[in-house]
Amino acid sequence: MVFGKRGNLDLLVAVDAGAEQLGLATGLALAQARAMHPTLTAVPEDQAADARLLDAMADWCQRYTPLLATDPPDGILLDIGGCAHLFGGEEKLRDDLLARVTGFGFSARAAIAASIGAASAAARFGAAAATATDHERDLLAPLPLAALRLSSDTVAALARVGLKRIGDILDLPRAPLAARFGAELLRMLDRALAREHEPLTPRLPVAPYIAEKNFHEPIAREADVLATVERLAMRLKTALAARGDGARRLELALFRTDGAVKRIAAGTSRPVRDPQAIRALFVERLAALGDEIDPGFGFDLARLSVLTAEPCPDEQIGFGGHEDQAEIDRLVDRLSARLGRRRVSRLIAHDSHIPEFAAAALPAQATARAELGWEAFRRFRIQAELSPRPLRFLARPEPIEDVFALVPDGPPVRFRWRRALHEVIAVEGPERIEGAWWNEEGGPARDYFRVEDKAGLRFWLFRAGLYRDMARGQPPPRWFLHGMYA
Amino acid sequence: MAAPARRPSVSSSAGMPAALDRLRRELCAAEAATGLTSAGGAALALGIPAIDGVLGGGLSCGALHEIVAAHETETAAATGFALALAARRAFPSCRGLARIAEKNVLWIAEDLSLAENGAPYGPGLDGAGIAPERLITVAAGRGRDVLWAMEEALRCRAVGVVIGEMRSRGIDQVMTRRLALAAAAGDTLGLLLRTTPHDEPSAAATRWIIGAAPSFLRSQGGDERAQGLGPPRLAARLVRNRRGHLGAWIVEWNSVEQRFELTTHSEPVAGAAFDRPHRAAVA
Repeated sequence: MVFGKRGNLDLLVAVDAGAEQLGLATGLALAQARAMHPTLTAVPEDQAADARLLDAMADWCQRYTPLLATDPPDGILLDIGGCAHLFGGEEKLRDDLLARVTGFGFSARAAIAASIGAASAAARFGAAAATATDHERDLLAPLPLAALRLSSDTVAALARVGLKRIGDILDLPRAPLAARFGAELLRMLDRALAREHEPLTPRLPVAPYIAEKNFHEPIAREADVLATVERLAMRLKTALAARGDGARRLELALFRTDGAVKRIAAGTSRPVRDPQAIRALFVERLAALGDEIDPGFGFDLARLSVLTAEPCPDEQIGFGGHEDQAEIDRLVDRLSARLGRRRVSRLIAHDSHIPEFAAAALPAQATARAELGWEAFRRFRIQAELSPRPLRFLARPEPIEDVFALVPDGPPVRFRWRRALHEVIAVEGPERIEGAWWNEEGGPARDYFRVEDKAGLRFWLFRAGLYRDMARGQPPPRWFLHGMYA
Repeated sequence: MAAPARRPSVSSSAGMPAALDRLRRELCAAEAATGLTSAGGAALALGIPAIDGVLGGGLSCGALHEIVAAHETETAAATGFALALAARRAFPSCRGLARIAEKNVLWIAEDLSLAENGAPYGPGLDGAGIAPERLITVAAGRGRDVLWAMEEALRCRAVGVVIGEMRSRGIDQVMTRRLALAAAAGDTLGLLLRTTPHDEPSAAATRWIIGAAPSFLRSQGGDERAQGLGPPRLAARLVRNRRGHLGAWIVEWNSVEQRFELTTHSEPVAGAAFDRPHRAAVA
């Protein structure tokens, strides 16, 4: 049995069948239970682990329908409208689900109803494995009021006036009920009776395109998985082409026989439809994941879904530059799939005078067609006669020590960087770059110098702050190295 | 394949140019048969006759070349050399003509090297003649990933130049040979930029050791510090060359015209004498 703290008391929150036979039930105080049966093992509850397990179960339930939500602490809601026939009908689907879940070693109950409220009530309080489509009323009438998902206060208040079952309030006048017990009661009742629609918020966004394949014999080899991907992509291609779409983000879900679900996502820099290209993406993803994809005893269901689709114009082939562009996109996709999306980037220019903000690296997949802003930068560079910028740039300027300058605000004569002393023999500068004075973290103005040392190494140094500002109580200036020239 | 045949040290002054020519042709044919160098691959001239002559017309394009920094602090100089080659190869039309034949440049670097030596900086690259919109940068966590990404990129026909920057050592010859084959297959210029000096065997066509060189004459007197910085000047040593002799030069990169220039006598032999306090005594 499992115990947990409710209020100030340690109460039993779950008991197994053996304990139940001994007369223990949830809600009993732990001390009392121990007094009754000293030999019982009691385990403290772990709500986070419970939630994780529920999530994993919900993942597994995706094999039945993409539209599902968890119903904490212990329920999962599946919207099986439109997909029950794939499993031979509602009852068959429910029996299949129960058989599999029981096979994993869980005890579970399932109910099918036209509303979330009715299904949840029937599953939690009704007879095992109930099915109630179109006769919710009869199903709900004998159930206790707590089945309506009401707060315990409301249930207690109803019990005080002798209302214990749903049937007791079904035919009562609504106005006095609402006046006395609040509108929530009627709302829950209406929802259970499917008089009011209750939306189901899916756990995961529902993909616009899905293709899946069931295996009688689980597959485990990488080659089989890839062949399946290609076959599924072939099916998606027809659907995508029909609507003129192409896939930008794809997800492959592999359902392992023991219930675990592996999800592998892959992105592209342009909408794709070609099964070969999709297969190539997953080749890299699988190679990058390596042993993380542990097939165990094999996968018995594979599903390929398009998470994001974009209009994909039918390609005109063989028109000069387009081919090059397509080749580059394919290369970028392959590299991104293997190394990670953020590791493959293009540089974009920002309209900022502060060196570290003037350029940024963005994922190349996202910037395949983007305007990178270098034309504007080039115009600015020529117009403003910007001094040459370093080839290599330290994201975080490194402090330099032992800086010696002939005049306080002048260029350095020597400095120490990474423990090596550099003697400056040529200097250009200063180029003053104001800090972002409109921003509190803007920092002081910087004077940048291009310097060359005795060995011919060229650096971009700056001094943050001015000596004359020290008189006004500013901290003394500090020197930094920001970049290297060839 | 057997290790590339070491060229017999026959000097051209021996007076048998015909025999030499024949030997050279045979060697080229043998190399082409291994697939390591594309037979009809264009040569990328550096623009300095002295160096291009040694290289047999220029760096072969569909091949792998190694550029090694003389010291880790001189990585920026080695980067400059690699980027200058990339600019000449990928943007040949920058010199006045419309930009049509531009190819993409991939710069693949190890995380460690980027942290230690700084990341590529767009505004600086633009000034050096590499159009940042044509550059794709890849940061790889391990050296193995750098090599894998390089091989993939070298095989891509839309890529003109692949720069692979590695800090870690221990690239075996099999790996460099794979890269060389990929470069030949894709007719792509592969530049393996090593930020730490090493002398590992490799299948690269050439190996350069690049260091920084002082950019102006120190002998001119006056306040040297007021003279400003000249164009980037590099000390380039060709320490391995499949096609010809080795050599060492001091070259200057002219980023406006996108070509190298040879600087003779960057350090005049008698230069130091002028720096003596009693100049009259010297004169």
